[in-house]
Amino acid sequence: MTKEPAAVFETVTKTYGPVRAADGLDLAVRRGETLALLGRNGAGKSTAINLLLGLDTPDSGRVVLFGGEPDRAVAAGRVGAMLQEGRPVPRVTVRELVGFVASTYPVPMPVADALSLAGLTALADRRVDRLSGGQAQRVRFAVALAGHPELIVLDEPTSALDVEARGEFWAAMRGYARRGNTVLFSTHYLEEADSFADRIVVVDAGRIVADGTAEELKRSAGGALVAVDLGGAPAAFLSGLPGVTEVEVRGDRARLRTADSDATVRALAARDAIRGLEVAPLTLNDAFLALTRGRDDRRARDTGQGTTQDAARATAPNREPIR
Amino acid sequence: MSTALSTTTAYARLEIRRTLRDQGFVISTLGVPVMMYLLFTNLGGQNDPAYRTAAMVGMAAYGALGAALSLGGGVAEDKSNGWLRQLRITPMTPRRVVTGRALTGAVVVLPSIGAVLLAGGLVNGVRMPVLQWVAVALALWLGSLPFTLLGLGNGYRLTPQATGAVNVACNLGLAVVGGLWFPVELFPDWLASVASWTPTYRFAEAARALAEGRVPGTTAMVLLAGWAALFGTYAAVSYRRSARTI
Repeated sequence: MTKEPAAVFETVTKTYGPVRAADGLDLAVRRGETLALLGRNGAGKSTAINLLLGLDTPDSGRVVLFGGEPDRAVAAGRVGAMLQEGRPVPRVTVRELVGFVASTYPVPMPVADALSLAGLTALADRRVDRLSGGQAQRVRFAVALAGHPELIVLDEPTSALDVEARGEFWAAMRGYARRGNTVLFSTHYLEEADSFADRIVVVDAGRIVADGTAEELKRSAGGALVAVDLGGAPAAFLSGLPGVTEVEVRGDRARLRTADSDATVRALAARDAIRGLEVAPLTLNDAFLALTRGRDDRRARDTGQGTTQDAARATAPNREPIR
Repeated sequence: MSTALSTTTAYARLEIRRTLRDQGFVISTLGVPVMMYLLFTNLGGQNDPAYRTAAMVGMAAYGALGAALSLGGGVAEDKSNGWLRQLRITPMTPRRVVTGRALTGAVVVLPSIGAVLLAGGLVNGVRMPVLQWVAVALALWLGSLPFTLLGLGNGYRLTPQATGAVNVACNLGLAVVGGLWFPVELFPDWLASVASWTPTYRFAEAARALAEGRVPGTTAMVLLAGWAALFGTYAAVSYRRSARTI
């Protein structure tokens, strides 16, 4: 028996002014899976999440949540979410807040469980607006969990957490997913998507540019990296070698991205160009850059100008934690 | 249905707690009206019992006005910190959220009304039959509804900063022009005729009539109902406009 998906995007578009924040999204979130929406700042991750939760309506296309309108699934208490832009609610304690949110759901989790899953037991009687950034982030996680929803949606859930808190957060999240719940989170941390998601959906400029496991993504971006020393020879011939999709020369060393590393290496050998040879599988980082860069190039060609992502990167170079 | 009701009251309880924990709210809606009442009635040898009663009602009305308007500040604050958005992804419908807020308004006006009436009875020796006290308190409570709606309208329509400014303007303007601070009899004729159209004047007039053992006039009731309808429409329109963007 195949269950209907938890959520479906059917060719969804959404435009804010000149920005196509969702540009024909097609996606089915299967029940029980942990799915990462991976993309840079401004790629359209939050837009997708807002559409999914019914906080926004698509310009065209359709979003289906548990077989119906998002509003209905939300009203039925089947969804819990942690939004990105929230600031702490003033003048309320952790227990009051989590307890209240739990009480709005038909079958909530015991408040003590939600607090303990989020690591807040010791802070239960503290005021939410007097907690540190990381603690406040955990409160938002507890709020998302409190109703014991079938689907939990987390928009950049770990952005304010340090390394240790991040580990604890994901341990809790894994426990929740293991009980058969569906988890959808957005992130721009590759390692998070790699380690915690069953499935990674790469979003760029409002489109899905890749969808699969980390391994599949690496494969789809085109195989491997081959590096050689040039030994003073000109690098021009390299881009014509079989399999090579991209050439990067730094000093005397050339790094080639290739779809077929065997063929590339054979061709290098035939030209007696093997010096300091190195062949390595593509990292997820390389795959991600290749997948998203490709689009930028295409768009820049199409429009004759840079993209909004370029602008975002230019103005906020430090906020690009993709490593 | 019963869960809807209990969710709404649970929400109102949470918001009432949050409101009463706001020191600014407590000082401006309890401390200030009580202090002003005691100052106005005990400075300059004003010992006229009728004035003490009238000023008591005026200041209780002023306190209720401030508390009702402050509701908007809370709404605007929660709009900007994301709490209203977070509520939208709970099973609680937006309509119940507004109802819960209005319920909050109905409760948080009570302390200011009670405090000023207590100051009148205990400190200033205002004497009335028990039934009359109850009638005055009830009139002040019910009569504050239009201002709760005005506060909600401001909160849903405006940014937190603008709500703060507009609330202060509404509070002082309506209080002074409506004769809550100084009796309208001291006003020049033109201002007195303006005053007679304000909701605050009619609000205090109705409660004062009861304090003097009279039945409030129909003009006051009709005008108050009119203002309630106007502010109610304002609140509904503001809410609908903002609901799309919260």
